[in-house]
Amino acid sequence: MAMNKLRKAYSYIADESVLIFIIMAFSIMMSVVSPYFLKSSNLMNIVQYISVAGITSIGMTMVILTGGINLSVGGTLALSAWVSAYSMLNGTPWYLAVLISLTIGAAVGAINGLAVTVIRIPPLIATLALEQITRGLQLVLSKGKPLHGFPKEFLFVGAGQIFGIPMSVIWVAVLFVIFGIFLSKTRMGRSIYAVGGNPEATKIAGINNSKVIMFVYMTAGVLASFAGIILIARMDSAPTAIAASLDMQAITACVIGGASVTCGGKGRVFGTFLGIIIMGLIQNSLDLLNVSAYYQQFIQGIIIFLAVSMDAFRNARAGKNNTFWKKAKFKEQLL
Amino acid sequence: MDNVILEMRNITKSFSDNVVLNDVNFELRKGEVHALVGANGAGKSTLVKILNGIYTANSGEIFIEGKKANIRHSSDAEKHGIAFVHQELNICPDLNVAENIYVGNLVKSKLGFFDSKSTIKKAQDLIDMIQVDMKSTEKVRNLRAAEKQIIEILKALTTNAKILVLDEPTSSLNEKEKVIFTGIVNKLKSQGVSILFITHFLDDVLLLSDRVTVIKDGVNNGIFNAKEITKDILIDAMIGKSVIKCCNSRQDTKEDAKTILELQDLSSSNKFNNVNLKIKQGNIVGVCGLLGAGKTELARAIYGLDKFDSGKILLYGKPVKKVSPMIMMKKKVALVTEDRKIDGFVPLLSIRENSTLSIMDRLCSNFGFINRKQQNSVAEELSKSVSVKKSSIEQKVVHLSGGNQQKVIIARCFASKPKLFILDEPTRGVDVYAKSEIYCILSEMAAQGVAIVIFSSELDELIDVCDEILVLKKGQITESIKTINFDKNKLLAMIS
Repeated sequence: MAMNKLRKAYSYIADESVLIFIIMAFSIMMSVVSPYFLKSSNLMNIVQYISVAGITSIGMTMVILTGGINLSVGGTLALSAWVSAYSMLNGTPWYLAVLISLTIGAAVGAINGLAVTVIRIPPLIATLALEQITRGLQLVLSKGKPLHGFPKEFLFVGAGQIFGIPMSVIWVAVLFVIFGIFLSKTRMGRSIYAVGGNPEATKIAGINNSKVIMFVYMTAGVLASFAGIILIARMDSAPTAIAASLDMQAITACVIGGASVTCGGKGRVFGTFLGIIIMGLIQNSLDLLNVSAYYQQFIQGIIIFLAVSMDAFRNARAGKNNTFWKKAKFKEQLL
Repeated sequence: MDNVILEMRNITKSFSDNVVLNDVNFELRKGEVHALVGANGAGKSTLVKILNGIYTANSGEIFIEGKKANIRHSSDAEKHGIAFVHQELNICPDLNVAENIYVGNLVKSKLGFFDSKSTIKKAQDLIDMIQVDMKSTEKVRNLRAAEKQIIEILKALTTNAKILVLDEPTSSLNEKEKVIFTGIVNKLKSQGVSILFITHFLDDVLLLSDRVTVIKDGVNNGIFNAKEITKDILIDAMIGKSVIKCCNSRQDTKEDAKTILELQDLSSSNKFNNVNLKIKQGNIVGVCGLLGAGKTELARAIYGLDKFDSGKILLYGKPVKKVSPMIMMKKKVALVTEDRKIDGFVPLLSIRENSTLSIMDRLCSNFGFINRKQQNSVAEELSKSVSVKKSSIEQKVVHLSGGNQQKVIIARCFASKPKLFILDEPTRGVDVYAKSEIYCILSEMAAQGVAIVIFSSELDELIDVCDEILVLKKGQITESIKTINFDKNKLLAMIS
């Protein structure tokens, strides 16, 4: 009985067991190499890194599952965070400011979704344009000046603690669990997998693909702006150059976690969670080992390149076995 | 025996617990045409993949011309003189015939430039060798399907292959083209090339091959001399029991049966023209025609996958204003498309999720949570009712055999309880046994009042199953036939 439960538990993490092993090995290695690694203040650093990029990467996972990509998360975060900061400093109650921020996130997501479903722009280009638009808009509005001095209640959202547990840890845990359940147990969650796995078949089965894709981009927008709330609440400041390369961090976390950018319908939020932890550990150990910030971008680039190569390689191998004798008859009209 | 060119001895292959091939022996003689047949999932593709080095056998040996061969990669197979022609054609439509044939090793001049003249000449020599009427300077785009197939074969021959493996070589050919193809096979044979071919078309097996090996459930179930057997003997060896003939006890449609689908002057430029038809409750109507007659286009237009230019689609007597798959699904219409790999199922999802994809709404409790218990039992029931061969409903559909994938798609449509069921080439690439099972399911559905339209080029099957057959020719319905005791050859004459 107990054995059975154990086996069941293992089968749940079987796909990700390599990642868990990497995290453990990495942690042990770092705790040997650096005396600071296991200090609570350092672990706090990791958690903070994980919280912003992690919450964003939940949305990114869903977008990637539908076979898309979202490069506009950084801009979404920057714009929505700045507007909410500005409105707070001008007397709007903090909870309304949060609502405004989330609404902006949803709106940017909706534009992404419309661009992809109605205008049919490839997601890569559509979201790249939205990244420029949102970043630019934030610069225009802020005129390059940072904002700070937010209400206490607002700061609690990002920097507070409940029973000694930092709020960012709580948010990350709660959101990952909610979206993990959402993706595996609900109709919309499963539709996301179906649309990514074979959009044409899903359409024929009577599912509204556009609705699913709209939902995914809007949720990704909301999550990005929520990550922004946590970020500015923690720093008590909304700088203009905020969340640089957030898109890359989120995508890397997804890909390390097993989501596939070369074909949709593959990946899990749990994998992304482990992916973001690995990213956090790498980032943190580079800091602890005094690697210059100039190198860090370089190293991050290498990591995402390797992760995506692995993904492409896996798919190519799977594809070789599946499509080799495929019964797909050649289409005369295509030739 | 020194005239054996290829021998596969005691081949066993299993994927985890699933034994796909069990101690299979196979031999190919020099200069013979040998067909490999078997039901879907019997293991014939696996055997050929082992020969091609894509899979490695768990045990067993391969001998080529008496010497043991170690085939671990496709390139090993090539080194041993084995060439493969796959079912899907890999050709570049804008290159000429010669360039396509030599695409891997174009002739280069001394300076390293592409030598178009000698490539063309070499290709023409090759074409003349098998005595086909084809110019090596012709653009491939302008060629017919059979000629494209020939290019694939010639391409394989440039590697000096002694053994040629053809996968479903006749599936895209029409009756006329098959004659050309047969001629080529015979010419190759006379030049000492040994040919192994895999097919579902038993008529072609009897026509083309010298010997036949039947694989059933992973074992060699008999080697026959093609001249001495009939189709029934083959089917018997493949299935082990005679194929259930469909319950042909359908009554005549009652006069008062309601019209489910009506098309009024449906037209789409270059695809089909002024199509009018009426399909009644409980009727099975076949639409037949050659490749390019507009069958698939018409099926897709009715379901709203492609737009049409003019005309009306009426469901249950009312015109459908906006035709889209979502709306058609809501109006109780279901479609099985022509090419299941492209738009049939979601490969990475399980049988459970694929078969219930269209009815997720019905399985949902509050807040959009899927009731897993209910989903499990519905999926079990569905896959039982269409008899999907599976280890569990959690199996991913991509890992099923072709016939079983098709059954999962039919199960999905079945689940949505359609009143109109459209199927486009539902039995393509499906073995005989699965075919008859599929038609039995359809007959049962019709008996319960579902209107069924089958678009197909399998004339025998349509004559067996349908109440009425419409002939589609160049996008127009030219004939309507009651099928009772109708002759296939007559029908064949009508469509071509």
